Amino acid sequence: MNKNRLFKDKLVTIIAYCFIGLFAIICLYPLILTISVSFSSEQEIAKNGYSIIPLDFTFDTYKYIFINSGSKILRSYGVTIFITVVGTLGAMLITSMIAFAISIKKLKYRNIIAFICNFTIIFSAGLIPWYMVCVNFYGLKNNILALILPSIFSVWNMFLMRTYFSSIPSSLYEAAEIDGGNYFTIFIKIAMPLSKTALLTVGLMYALQYWNDWWNSLIFINDKNLFPLQYYLYSILSNVNAISSGRVPSGAAGGIALPAETVKMAVTVITIGPIIFLYPFVQKYFVQGVMMGAVKE
Amino acid sequence: MNSVGRSSKPGRKIRKDGFLYEIKKNRILYLMCVPALIILILFCYIPFGGVWMAFTDFNVLDGIFGSKFVGLDNFKFFFSKNSMGWQVTYNTLVINFFGIIFGTIVPITIAIFLNEIRNKTYKKVTQSMMFFPYFLSWVVVGAIIYGIFSTDVGVANNMLRFFGKAPISWYSEPKYWKEIIIIADVWKWSGYNSIIYLAAMSNFDASLYEAAKVDGANKFQRIFYLTLPMLKPTVVVLTLMSIGRIFYGDFGMIYGIVGNNPVLIDEVTVIDTYVYQTMRTLGFSYSTAIGLFQSLMGLILVTVANKVAKRINEGEGLF
Repeated sequence: MNKNRLFKDKLVTIIAYCFIGLFAIICLYPLILTISVSFSSEQEIAKNGYSIIPLDFTFDTYKYIFINSGSKILRSYGVTIFITVVGTLGAMLITSMIAFAISIKKLKYRNIIAFICNFTIIFSAGLIPWYMVCVNFYGLKNNILALILPSIFSVWNMFLMRTYFSSIPSSLYEAAEIDGGNYFTIFIKIAMPLSKTALLTVGLMYALQYWNDWWNSLIFINDKNLFPLQYYLYSILSNVNAISSGRVPSGAAGGIALPAETVKMAVTVITIGPIIFLYPFVQKYFVQGVMMGAVKE
Repeated sequence: MNSVGRSSKPGRKIRKDGFLYEIKKNRILYLMCVPALIILILFCYIPFGGVWMAFTDFNVLDGIFGSKFVGLDNFKFFFSKNSMGWQVTYNTLVINFFGIIFGTIVPITIAIFLNEIRNKTYKKVTQSMMFFPYFLSWVVVGAIIYGIFSTDVGVANNMLRFFGKAPISWYSEPKYWKEIIIIADVWKWSGYNSIIYLAAMSNFDASLYEAAKVDGANKFQRIFYLTLPMLKPTVVVLTLMSIGRIFYGDFGMIYGIVGNNPVLIDEVTVIDTYVYQTMRTLGFSYSTAIGLFQSLMGLILVTVANKVAKRINEGEGLF
């Protein structure tokens, strides 16, 4: 009996290790495939198809991209970095201020304010009225603000922050109030320093959202100079000729065949580059974000 | 503060429990809410005015409120035979339904198995790997899917060839794409969602497991008779939340993966992408009507889901 149990327990453990290992590989495999294709030569890919090991390892694709569209990619990188930095900072300020305010229990109308926020999650006017207002009233067509303002305040993130602020004992604020501090100074000097983890978590969530956003550019941006990286990739994928049609300076790129498959993958790698390097270090904050949300549920 | 008694005159004299008194007293806190509220008003509340378009035959010259009133015609057209209304509603529900089913089973399986793994390094590394897809945008996922399903060079066809089967030209065969999209959805979110279940499991009472062990229950039994029943409340809440959003398709997912591919798009068009397409072809009024239909269905379902959650969780609703 006991032996049988031990055997079954072992079996569960073995299945667990295999399943988890397999799923983990499935999750990372496409990334490795993408990277390895981007370092392969176009001829080998055309002959043998995509491979997990780089075929005929070469930097040609990256050279090709930077010779032909280096300035475009750098520009898109600039746009993405700009909207990520400005958007995240703005969003953090706006979100944490309101989250702090409605975490103060003596604020009489805080439930009404929370409801005004909550209602936007459960009911919306839909895409078209939103689009018309943005374009006709706010002039967001081909405006870099169109990539920042519509996503600058997330009600979900606000509630995450409020949960965190609510856990700070209000006696800390009262002491500061007696000393004559107003609530904005309390927010800056007491609440913010005590919530570093929460701020970092929400900040990273906003940053990822801005970095990965292409929906706003699909809707609002036609001007190639304002394409963020993700949308640049999207436009290449939907029309790979966009990059092939770029004039090839004969001297500089001589001898390199026109890559198409490898170009797609190389641009993908360029797009996710910073994420690949950063995510091992920042993922614990995202885990924390999920946990904070789970507490509320 | 002798003004309290004769405060019936509006304006200068403010009652202590009055609206203006409260605003004035806590003005700094209220001011801190203003930027966020302005954003919500600009991007969520003002657009409600445009909902009127759904009941008109909008044209640019007459404006939103000057265009001809047509009642529910736009909605009727959506559900008529000439439109894709039923098709896109069906697509949305099917993709979301299977997304919810597998998006629950896979993360729970991951969470349970991760919990069985004692080797810390193995656990950490695999967990990071499974979390990775969460960080990718749908455009990037679309590029990856292209790498797998591209006809000439894709991995899927390479494998088919390896096993001696004829390659499939995936990008011109609509019938596979609902499945591909559902798999991509589960793939992207499972690692992330498993954290929610892991968090729930970390709160379970360890002594229960010890007791079961003493009673001779093996690991299978402990998973089926302890872990799964205790996960039920979490599963119920998360499922209800997903059901509340079952009429909302993931625009980024559909467009990032399928894009504008005219062959595939009909098979996987969801309400959200349909609104975007019809905006340019069938006019603003019609697409506003579809959006409104979607929002109303969402509102109804969220309300119902919230009621159900309250009943199950003893008064604790979703919101």
